[in-house]
Amino acid sequence: MELKTEDYSTHISQQFNEELEQIRTQLLTMGGVVERQVHDCIDALLNGDAELAEQSRRVDKQTNEMEVLIDEQCTTIIARRQPAASDLRLIIAVSKAVSDLEGMGDEASRICRHAIELVEEGSSPRGYQEVRHIGNLVREMVKDVLTAFARNDTELAYRVAKMDKSVDQEYRSAMRSLATFMMEDPRSISSVMNVIWVLRSLERISEHARAMATHLIYLVSGTDVRHGSLKQIKRAVNPDTDEQE
Amino acid sequence: MTSEAKTHAIDISSLQRDNQVLNLEEETLALEVKDLKLCYGDNEALHGIDMQIPKNRVTAFIGPSGCGKSTLLRCFNRMNDLVDDCRITGQILLDENNIYDRSVEIAELRRRVGMVFQKPNPFPKSIYENVAYGLRIQGVTKKRIIDETVEWALKSAALWDEVKDRLHESALGMSGGQQQRLVIARTIAVKPEVLLLDEPASALDPISTLKIEELIHELKKDFTIVIVTHNMQQAARVSDYTAFMYMGDLIEFGVTDTLFTNPEKKQTEDYITGRYG
Repeated sequence: MELKTEDYSTHISQQFNEELEQIRTQLLTMGGVVERQVHDCIDALLNGDAELAEQSRRVDKQTNEMEVLIDEQCTTIIARRQPAASDLRLIIAVSKAVSDLEGMGDEASRICRHAIELVEEGSSPRGYQEVRHIGNLVREMVKDVLTAFARNDTELAYRVAKMDKSVDQEYRSAMRSLATFMMEDPRSISSVMNVIWVLRSLERISEHARAMATHLIYLVSGTDVRHGSLKQIKRAVNPDTDEQE
Repeated sequence: MTSEAKTHAIDISSLQRDNQVLNLEEETLALEVKDLKLCYGDNEALHGIDMQIPKNRVTAFIGPSGCGKSTLLRCFNRMNDLVDDCRITGQILLDENNIYDRSVEIAELRRRVGMVFQKPNPFPKSIYENVAYGLRIQGVTKKRIIDETVEWALKSAALWDEVKDRLHESALGMSGGQQQRLVIARTIAVKPEVLLLDEPASALDPISTLKIEELIHELKKDFTIVIVTHNMQQAARVSDYTAFMYMGDLIEFGVTDTLFTNPEKKQTEDYITGRYG
């Protein structure tokens, strides 16, 4: 059954409409903050901007507070309204999505910390090309998964899950080349390690974005594809998909 | 060494609460409805219902007022025969025999398919006599058998401990919740196969309601239960299968867990989530 975003405002209880609309809006607001965090941490690192990194780390406190606030509201709605079907799935999906967003915020914070360390070491950047490349993919995923949530767009959610696979591949190949750097020049080990932690965090953000995409698919289609393959996700998004594809 | 010995793997299926996944196709059937149409005068109230009620399960009927759920329930023990101007076509099979067949004796049918109504309706007799009533009209006279059955029925209806010391006091002195459980005891005393419950808890307070719901859960071991309720949360709590009816049609029928988390039809979704129809 197709679920449209307008469907949240058709309950007989106007209060209930507002409550559901509110947690959706708050999720997207929190998403905006986290998207900015992810954006800034990559910029801070690539441009050696310790000040931006510091600022961005402070924002993480807000993300944590929003997670708790939105989760509290989800609990209250369950207790007061006993939601069913798509309303219940919305609340479950939002509650899970906020913890993924919070996780992304933590990783962004971590990247900022490494950015500050790298600035302090003042060493020449090795592996920044990989960071830039994977960073761009991850930024796009975060943006897309939020757009998908805003529009209940499962096709877009599927694309995010697909991009997670590319990020995994890029991450593995980056690890190989960074290992080579370290073998060739042991003096670079400490700074390259920092870059490796950054890549690791970016890969984690990508995982969180993929998880959010699966929560959206659950919300819209009722199918739980958290641990499914890309093929299974595609089938959940579009049940008419040809098996051969 | 086997591979299990090295891991800490657990049996995931053992984590499921009921340790079973319901599937209508694998159930034994208690009742089968085939193309059932019912008219009150010129007004068709049921438009050809087809459904299967599984044995030893709780099946709930939900839907807005006037959707035909009580009408359908009353067809199962031919209560609608008492309504003037009521015509029924189609079949309802109980043990593969059509209950609308001419050879069917209505009193015997109603023994096999018992019914409990919204308002508790104990007879103005003692608690004991209320439960013994069905047996007496069946011609059972042995006191020992009647005593045993009364005790069994009251225990099954979770009422025994509350009334065992005042079995011979009037049933009308009991609370509403107790009266409703007494009526259930009276109904099960004649060992029916199917128990029809028409809004059994809607006149009761929340605690008595929970007692009735707990009782329904216990009784399904021995009986097939069909319940009509306005209270969707109640249907979600007590039933294994749920049927959603609307304007005399069966819109959706399925496993309760699925129907309340991911219904197939838009109409069902709108109703259970409280949206405009």
